[in-house]
Amino acid sequence: MRYQDLLRRSVRNLLSAKARTLLTAGAIAVGTFALTLTLGASNGARSYVNKIINSNFDPTELVVTKDTRAFGNGDNSTPPEYDGSFGSTLVPGGLETQIKRLSDDDLTKLKAIPGVQEVRIANSVSVQYITAPGQRKYVATVVPFSPAQKPDLLAGSVTQLNENAVLLPEGFLKVLGFDTAAAAVGKKVTIAVQKQVDQTGIVSALTQGGAPNAIADAQMRPSMHKDYTIAAVAKKPTAIISASEFIVYAQPKTAQALRDYKTTGSSDYHRYLAVNAKIRNGGDKATLTLVQKRIKALGYGAQSVEDTQKFLTQIVSVLQGIVTAFGFIAIVASLFGIINTMYISVLQRTREIGLMKALGMHKKDITKLFRIEAALIGLLGGLIGAVSAVLFGTALNPTIAQKLNLGDQRLLEFQLGQIVILIGVLVLVATLAGLFPARKASQLDPIQALRTE
Amino acid sequence: MITVKQLSKVYGKGEGLFTALQNIDFTIPTGSTVAIIGKSGSGKSTLMHIISGLDHPTAGQVLIDSTDLYAMRPREIDEFRATQMSFIFQAFFVEANQTAFQNVALPLEISGVALRERKKLVAEALDAVGLLDKSMVLAGNLSGGQKQRLAVARAIVNKPTILFADEPTGNLDSATGESIMALLFELNRTLGCTLVLVTHDNDLARRCQQQITIKDGQVSSIKSTSDRRAK
Ligand SMILES: Nc1ncnc2c1ncn2[C@@H]1O[C@H](COP(=O)(O)OP(=O)(O)O)[C@@H](O)[C@H]1O
Ligand SMILES: [Mg+2]
Repeated sequence: MRYQDLLRRSVRNLLSAKARTLLTAGAIAVGTFALTLTLGASNGARSYVNKIINSNFDPTELVVTKDTRAFGNGDNSTPPEYDGSFGSTLVPGGLETQIKRLSDDDLTKLKAIPGVQEVRIANSVSVQYITAPGQRKYVATVVPFSPAQKPDLLAGSVTQLNENAVLLPEGFLKVLGFDTAAAAVGKKVTIAVQKQVDQTGIVSALTQGGAPNAIADAQMRPSMHKDYTIAAVAKKPTAIISASEFIVYAQPKTAQALRDYKTTGSSDYHRYLAVNAKIRNGGDKATLTLVQKRIKALGYGAQSVEDTQKFLTQIVSVLQGIVTAFGFIAIVASLFGIINTMYISVLQRTREIGLMKALGMHKKDITKLFRIEAALIGLLGGLIGAVSAVLFGTALNPTIAQKLNLGDQRLLEFQLGQIVILIGVLVLVATLAGLFPARKASQLDPIQALRTE
Repeated sequence: MITVKQLSKVYGKGEGLFTALQNIDFTIPTGSTVAIIGKSGSGKSTLMHIISGLDHPTAGQVLIDSTDLYAMRPREIDEFRATQMSFIFQAFFVEANQTAFQNVALPLEISGVALRERKKLVAEALDAVGLLDKSMVLAGNLSGGQKQRLAVARAIVNKPTILFADEPTGNLDSATGESIMALLFELNRTLGCTLVLVTHDNDLARRCQQQITIKDGQVSSIKSTSDRRAK
């Protein structure tokens, strides 16, 4: 029997029991709906993670720490021993102040490692405030800008970002009295940074000067005010550091000057939790891994962007796995629906099958007939599920993005290729489910099937 | 020519053993008409099923011309049935929710005849049974006699060499039955196909060239009517 004839007969059979066909396909559609949305959501989450990583990190860099515990993969079985030689701010002790930090010596050592091209200090500096003439003061964080970063700019250009300039996020526009991003470019903002004083600072002040003055000095904490030109305005950054802090980008030198002013005289001076080591030919994975090993061999912690990405996507993957499992359970359950429906169909069409066999139709063709029917039910269910999921997701995307504050990012990203593969798998699985009833049909005895009375 | 040699069929085993056919021997010349007669339950249908390759004999042979039917593989028997044989049943077995055309096209679909050729052959067959104008009518909307005509059209559409009819008039009133029989005899003459008619109606049987009477699974008599009477 020709394929088109088998196909035509299958379609005719499915149409002759429309309600049954739709209900059976409906069960598959539910599972497909869940799976399509899951795929869409994980695509969205992954591309969101990638977007954050790509606009904030340079993949050819490694993040290096003094403390291997910083990435949570050092030895966590014993508590760290107290070390009185370092500490920060005014809070003595506690794990936070006991994290080993990198000194200038360490930076020199790192630079000497073959393959390390450059060591960059990427740490943010929490400044006292930012303001503009005649405006109120606002909290801000200055982050050294790296050329690998690609912020979405509303106005201005990164090339204008010299040592006396800053890159402002759009959130500051209104509060600092600028109507538009374009109007802000070229204008001045003032950044104030206050000296930081800790135990070490007080002690050294006490030993150097008169006691009352030193303590008064320490409490007065002088600040430095400096004007910067707005080089460019960036869209609300897709930053993961903190939702409440607004990041102002500045040249590394500018940031370093602010940091130095802030920390001179304290134990934080030229001490870094982490630095970024740019690797020569770091785009090559093998090279990157090799240098990472060298850095680790010297007792430092080193993490690549990929490691960070893996860590972030791991969470996405776990959630995705859970929903996928439910989707698959739904599909497996609906396969029993296909088997059941097809068995009923075989029973109802016993006579017809008997006649076809009596007229010389091969067993194989009868099997094909029912397998095609099962495949068509799978295809129908898959299409209904996938199409409704895409429609549903596309309609809801703007609302979700707004609720979750994702900006331009869509939560659900559908990929045609994935959906086609999903439906393909469904059709295949449905065909397999149809195998049992198809076998039953092909093994019908035509004499029994055609027996009257 | 159909040759049946020492054919036996036993159903079941042990206590429930039942011999439906025992040592059947006869020959049917190509193009002739033959009636298999006997009471209900005597084994007529079983015999027809075995001659046509639908069932399997317990012992014995069926030769169609020189081909041993049961020496063939199942697939070849299917092929043989699809191209050489046709069936007409007492209960019509037409698909009510398909059109007359679709019903008649089934054997051609099975043997993989191309669509254009199929249309031509179906039209010829429907014309031969006088149902050409009902081509697009659903079979369920036809009368009993028309349904059996449709079954006849389906049986002749693939130009078979042997036509099996198992009590073809059993569900019809005598006038309609008579018209179907007239149609079958006419097709036997015009198409030259062998007609094997299973019936318990002696009058009908006498109109065939040969009458094979079955009694309790055995041949009780084989008679030939003179050619003149059959025509
Ligand atoms: N599958 C079967 N199993 C057991 N006995 C059967 C089977 N098929 C037919 N028979 C028996 O064989 C005998 C002949 O049946 P059948 O050929 O249908 O008779 P007829 O067509 O002459 O009325 C009957 O007694 C019937 O009960
Ligand atoms: Mg019978």
